[in-house]
Amino acid sequence: MQASRARLFKEYKEVQREKIADPDIQLVCDDSNIFKWTALIKGPSETPYEGGIFQLAFAVPEQYPLQPPQVRFLTKIFHPNVHFKTGEICLDILKNAWSPAWTLQSVCRAIIALMAHPEPDSPLNCDSGNLLRSGDIRGYQSMARMYTRLAAMPKKG
Amino acid sequence: MNQEDDKGSSCSTGDLNLCPICLGPIVQDSYLDKCFHKFCYTCIVQWTKVVAGKLSRPLPSVKCPLCKTENFSIIHGYDGNSFQQHHINQDFEHSFVLTRGHKYRLQCYYSEPGVVSDIFNASRYWKSRKYLQPNRWLQSWLRREIQALMQEEDVDIIVHHILGVIDSFVSRNEPKSHVKIPETKGEELKALVSDAARPFLGARTDRFINEVELFLASGLNIEAYDAVYMQRLGWSFPGVTSEASEGALSGQTTVIPYLYIFDADSDGPD
Repeated sequence: MQASRARLFKEYKEVQREKIADPDIQLVCDDSNIFKWTALIKGPSETPYEGGIFQLAFAVPEQYPLQPPQVRFLTKIFHPNVHFKTGEICLDILKNAWSPAWTLQSVCRAIIALMAHPEPDSPLNCDSGNLLRSGDIRGYQSMARMYTRLAAMPKKG
Repeated sequence: MNQEDDKGSSCSTGDLNLCPICLGPIVQDSYLDKCFHKFCYTCIVQWTKVVAGKLSRPLPSVKCPLCKTENFSIIHGYDGNSFQQHHINQDFEHSFVLTRGHKYRLQCYYSEPGVVSDIFNASRYWKSRKYLQPNRWLQSWLRREIQALMQEEDVDIIVHHILGVIDSFVSRNEPKSHVKIPETKGEELKALVSDAARPFLGARTDRFINEVELFLASGLNIEAYDAVYMQRLGWSFPGVTSEASEGALSGQTTVIPYLYIFDADSDGPD
């Protein structure tokens, strides 16, 4: 408990220092609870998520960093490895391949990488996964772009 | 323009002396044995426990949290000369931790040989054929020595093996039997013990034989021998001798200078 607090505080300070260094990630700690964080990440360029801002919610366990944080998308996203309703993310480093050397910041980078490189063979969103697996890249891209416009971009007017 | 910054941000610990697990300054430097990544001792041990706990059985190895290399032990307690090694497949609660007595002996092996060889006269030991009399501290002394060198607690089988070799040598060389040149006797026994110990001690065998010879020649008990040795090395570890005797020398607490020149009949006043 004490160890996880101390480490999160160090990450907090690191985030303050790195803010300018990584413009794609904005990590914010909850005002009253250091175990709750949110992040705003930019959709990677040359993907259907380009131009979108996606919000992630982090719930950090007390055993952190020996246990991985729980992360989900708060912003709706059409992606094979993200549950369409709950925002749950299927990513090995958040489960079996977790290492205590990861930080909240580096988890955000991993999620950005996952957005650019979906894994259709372990889908949480079967519709999205099936489009990719059947080779319908255009179908997948246009669905993903539509949801990016609907959910991850500021409404016009 | 900020290449340095980019490098630093790709790994949050950068090249600072920070533990990748707690992100704090490293406490008790510990290295994994294959990739040599550095962590706090408690951090990497805790992580190993978490990994083992998931599988509920002892692991043969642990993946480095930084580079995923499989590692088989944690190296820690490095003090410039000696270090301790924790094998992943051992139970952490029951793992063997070197006492200060063990550490001091291990450090002796990193010192120049011959530190005390002028005090304890080995050739007189062989000449006077003192080796035919049993040394009642030898077993405890061997155990501590081999424990320190191998960093293993259970070395009984090796100790008994070496003692057996010595005993059979002694019984073959009863006082009445043919008299050879004493020095060759010494070399003969040393060669036998060397053969017995080499499979376990490897490159340290020769020095080990040297130390065994000196201990036997000293005729001292462990405490007294340690005191002389450390005085000669100029080391003063308060409490080392008493701690050393704790495990290895149970029961024998009185220090009797056991010099062979005064010793006509060692089994007298027991």
